[in-house]
Amino acid sequence: MPLVSALAASHAPNILLEPGREWEEFMDLHYSMAPKSSANRPTLEQQKKLRHDAEVAFSTLRADLELAKPDVLIVVANDQFVNFFWNNIPTFFVTLADRVRGQFTRHTFDYQNHKELGKSIVRAGMEKGIDFSYGEHIELQHTQTVPLYFLLPEQTLPILPIYVNTWVDPAPSPRRCYQVGELIRAVANSAPERVAILATGGLSHFPGSPRIGEIDESFDHELLEIMRNGRGRSLVDYSLQDLLNAGDSEFLNWMVVMGAVGETKAKYTAYMPDFVATGWGFVSWRLD
Amino acid sequence: MSCYDVSRLLFDLKMNESIYQRASADLENVMTDYNLSSEEKDALRAGDPRKLRQLGVHGMLCLYIKRLSPQFRDNIYWAQK
Repeated sequence: MPLVSALAASHAPNILLEPGREWEEFMDLHYSMAPKSSANRPTLEQQKKLRHDAEVAFSTLRADLELAKPDVLIVVANDQFVNFFWNNIPTFFVTLADRVRGQFTRHTFDYQNHKELGKSIVRAGMEKGIDFSYGEHIELQHTQTVPLYFLLPEQTLPILPIYVNTWVDPAPSPRRCYQVGELIRAVANSAPERVAILATGGLSHFPGSPRIGEIDESFDHELLEIMRNGRGRSLVDYSLQDLLNAGDSEFLNWMVVMGAVGETKAKYTAYMPDFVATGWGFVSWRLD
Repeated sequence: MSCYDVSRLLFDLKMNESIYQRASADLENVMTDYNLSSEEKDALRAGDPRKLRQLGVHGMLCLYIKRLSPQFRDNIYWAQK
């Protein structure tokens, strides 16, 4: 079957935290790296509006996903020191577990993992010169659970977590991530299942940095315009440093989806800087 | 110079409940389990993520030292990964 749906969405934890006390605690912690930024905190009303706007964006993505009737959702995300550490940092990792589970505050997540599709991707990669790491156990984290809370709340559709190292230097190039996306699309095209793909993360933010609180909205809008015009391939000429300068290292996850959608124009984009740390972005491509 | 051991301690503070409990009670004792420089020990004792970052530790791992601070011990951030 051809790839049936492609989505991209931010995974900032505060999207799923409750406006008010939980947001304030989140900001207290992150702004300890740069207390100056605390002056720019959003009000409670702004927090509630952001949550509402994110729910609207996610509802659009969810409707597109359901319309495509997928059998599996590939989730391309980065690990943030939950499964991987400096004893072994995989550049690209495919999950071959039976089930994948995780916890986010009050919310529990438990999905069947589509390991057969995972094995097909690993094998295809080995034939085409992309040697994925793989393993039979991972713990889901906010990089997956925040979007999944809104997109797959019933937890009945199998998923397939694929990790990209966007987090630890050295990280892969945008071009290499695009190639991984092309490979995934080729595997999906010959798979018996209807395959959907979701990239998570971004957009601009500087977590754990003195620049926490800065958001490069101009760069984010440039990326979204490129996606609306179906010119994702042009992003392979961006350097990793271009993305890092804009706080968009997690766009490497999105580059995998760029490779998967090729020249398809994004049907829906939404963008909202959260006044905290992150430019929240949401995109959907229709592939039918 | 590698930051492996100080990074590992910070990683364990978030991911290993028993290390976190031990460090909450006696950080000095836990630090003896890791190969740390005197600068790294001082930065951990200070509980300041910015000092840890200056030593080359990944910015997000630096934040994990805050889990030992009374002000941040019950922060919602630790209820998710």
